[in-house]
Amino acid sequence: MAAIELSGVSKRFDHTVKGEVYAVRDVSLSVAEGELLTLLGPSGCGKSTTLRMIAGFEEPDAGRISIGGTDVTRVLPNRRGIGFVFQNYALFPHLTIFENVAYGLRVQGKGEAEIGRAVAEVLSLVGLASYERQQPHQLSGGEQQRVALARAVVFQPRVLLFDEPLSNLDAKLRVEMREEIRALQKRIGITTVYVTHDQEEAMAISDRIAVMDRGQVVQQGTAQDLYYRPASEFVARFIGRANLVAARVRDADAVEIADGLVVRLATGRAAGTPATLVIRPEMIGLDPGDGPGRVTHRTFLGEKTDYVVELGGITLQVAATDTYRRPPIDVGQKVSLRFHPEGIHVL
Amino acid sequence: MRTERAREGRRTLGDPALLGVLAVLWLLLALFVLYPLAELLVRAFSDDGRFTLEPLLSSLADAGHRAAFVNSLVLATTVGVLGTALGLLFALTATRSGLSRHWLTALDAAALLPLVSPPFTTSIAIIFSFGPKGFISHHLLGLDNVTAYGFWSTALAETLTYFPIAYLTLRPILSAIDPNLEEMAFSLGGSRWRIFRTVTMPLCVPGFANAFLLLFAASLADFATPLILAGNSFAVLPTQAYLQITGMFDFKGGAVLSLMLLVPAIGVYLAQRRWVGRRTYVTVTGKVGQRSRSRAVSPVAAAGLAAASVAVAAVILYFYALLLYASLVVAFGANETFTLRHYHVIFTEGLPAIRDTLVIALIGMPLGGLYGVLVGWLIARRRFPGRQAMEVVSMINYALPGTIVGIAYLMAFNDPPLALTGGVMIIVACYVFRYSPTGIRATVALLQQIDRSIEEASASLGAGTVQTFRRVTLPLIAPAFFAGLGVVFIRSMTAISATIFLVSLSWTLITVRILENMTELALGPAAAFSVFVIVVVFAVVACLSAVLRRLRTPTAGAAAQSLLGG
Repeated sequence: MAAIELSGVSKRFDHTVKGEVYAVRDVSLSVAEGELLTLLGPSGCGKSTTLRMIAGFEEPDAGRISIGGTDVTRVLPNRRGIGFVFQNYALFPHLTIFENVAYGLRVQGKGEAEIGRAVAEVLSLVGLASYERQQPHQLSGGEQQRVALARAVVFQPRVLLFDEPLSNLDAKLRVEMREEIRALQKRIGITTVYVTHDQEEAMAISDRIAVMDRGQVVQQGTAQDLYYRPASEFVARFIGRANLVAARVRDADAVEIADGLVVRLATGRAAGTPATLVIRPEMIGLDPGDGPGRVTHRTFLGEKTDYVVELGGITLQVAATDTYRRPPIDVGQKVSLRFHPEGIHVL
Repeated sequence: MRTERAREGRRTLGDPALLGVLAVLWLLLALFVLYPLAELLVRAFSDDGRFTLEPLLSSLADAGHRAAFVNSLVLATTVGVLGTALGLLFALTATRSGLSRHWLTALDAAALLPLVSPPFTTSIAIIFSFGPKGFISHHLLGLDNVTAYGFWSTALAETLTYFPIAYLTLRPILSAIDPNLEEMAFSLGGSRWRIFRTVTMPLCVPGFANAFLLLFAASLADFATPLILAGNSFAVLPTQAYLQITGMFDFKGGAVLSLMLLVPAIGVYLAQRRWVGRRTYVTVTGKVGQRSRSRAVSPVAAAGLAAASVAVAAVILYFYALLLYASLVVAFGANETFTLRHYHVIFTEGLPAIRDTLVIALIGMPLGGLYGVLVGWLIARRRFPGRQAMEVVSMINYALPGTIVGIAYLMAFNDPPLALTGGVMIIVACYVFRYSPTGIRATVALLQQIDRSIEEASASLGAGTVQTFRRVTLPLIAPAFFAGLGVVFIRSMTAISATIFLVSLSWTLITVRILENMTELALGPAAAFSVFVIVVVFAVVACLSAVLRRLRTPTAGAAAQSLLGG
């Protein structure tokens, strides 16, 4: 049984110019017990609305939401047993750190001793053991988000929901915090839905990712699935960098990407059918010499060197990670390109 | 978002508790805001049940009434200009002169004194200073046969009474201008005066307009000052309306005169919406950090500003010292032997007025505070049909000159089935609906600062609507509640323009007694009453400020401001 199940969930808004628009359209998802699922997509794709419907802050116009096998579609947020971490932390400004974390337990009517023990435990878990008496405004952004996290897990909710929790933090802290969140989530084994627009964050933190676009889930899978086997051009472009090359199947084991340029690739498709190739920049090898390609740009980035290569009217991005042992290729130099069949995905 | 709003509206209307609260509030607003105003209009424009403009036309034909109308506008304009200038002086001193904190606190205290004083304070002090036996006119200058009455003394008294409003309006604007902006202009080689003219002042233009309009409205509505100081030669509308009703028992004439006051009042409202609105050019970055003293004002100019402000503050403090002194001598200007006689008088003969005023203030205070928070919360956080209408209607009695409200109440509640005049509830209702809007606006402002996600966080942690309101919303808007309480109390102690029409033999007010003392030339008791009111109001303001400080919520500071601004 799935811990969280959405089936056919839709939400409409009235837009002053466009009329009625779907924020979320016919979304079906299921999250397994203890799993961390990320909703990933550009802003306005409906990921936050979906999350807020799971929390109960928004009511769906159609569809069904269940948590732990119980239909909660019309259940108020306070009866759903969810822990929610907000983008802006949403700490209670009039309460101390201790009281902020204790809030959920107090609402449940827990005893003072139990509250004290649970709060101390969770605060030390997030590394804020000595902060109990501080006020929220005395803490840094990262610390405030840790308090928000402690507050959301202390009363042992059934599911944990994150709404872009790291977007107000600076880049270095973001990486640190996402690792902490992941470690904590694994440690307590809580079912989690995480919303972000940052594909790197999504790949780093998730068991599974659901990519959303214009209110719909366009692909679900592990980070590897999405990276190596994107289901659409949108996913291919949104996750990582990709060369999308329009090609035509020539025969059983070759495709033609430009006039006279043939790549060995078994597509299993009939000769003459068009196909779009997804080729990641790091999956192309470059060899200087008298090849058909020509380097037009070069950018040294330390761990890799990015090249832009022109090949029979197509522009390809290439990332070379072996530049520490090979001399860089100059702009204007002719090159030949190596493609690995297993590194090419056909749409 | 139409369907969304409709759905939320339905959700609200499905909640029986909320529905009940809304029904009660609308009933009260209809009874104490809309009905009296409608009654006033009907009385002014009908004769035997027929619509007629005859009373209005005959009033306009009356040269005296026309003069009163013009005088009101001239006075209000003068007070608006002078008060804005004084407010700017104080605001510049507070933000640009580099005076030490102690001096600024003292200046603040002096400037805010008139805002919490009973209405006749400045007038009494002006008579004591410039009257026939005045301290300055008679004792210092040896003049006789001078008169302290007329246009200029009225304008002076009103300017000194109301300029703190301009100060409170302009100070945050001036202090929010990023010093970097002025320093940048300075570094570009502009002279200080040029920077002041071309950078600082243009940024304040919306503030000037707002300050002027607020002062204009305050002067227009002021009843107490002209009643004492204007004299017969300079009649204004509020006093004319009052005399028409109490002197000639001409209710219709009074109603028409008070409605003439409505025309410029509405003009001010529209001007504010049109030109001021939410247009503030202030550059709030929230990142000013270490605020260096602005060098945009030269040391000489800074000293000049400081000296001028201190001089004005000294005049104010001199007036209050004079008031205190006059309350402690037998007869100011004639027999200056020390005595506590006047205090004895106010605590014996005057005791009913003191008791009544305190009872009314203490009943009105919690009612007004609750009403303000409730309406503010509904307006800011709930969606229901008629929400905007409620926002507007709840502000009407606050925006109208007190004379209009008083006459409207007198007409609406003088006859059965709603014969409330003569009782205590009519005065309490008048204060609650007239002075709670400060609490409403403070609540709305606080709630706008509190992100909805804070309430959602509470819900996600298992708290229901009631628990969330009690544990999160209420503590956060508590400052607005206390500010609302404070304003209702202060105004209950100091107001007169509306309630002078509502007092009776059984229920009277300190302010009305002060007026009676003044007309009987019993200036000693009048001064003693004034001192008493000032002391009580200060004590209450001090207590409320202490409470607000103890609340320690991030929203308390803003609420403390509205305590005085209201």
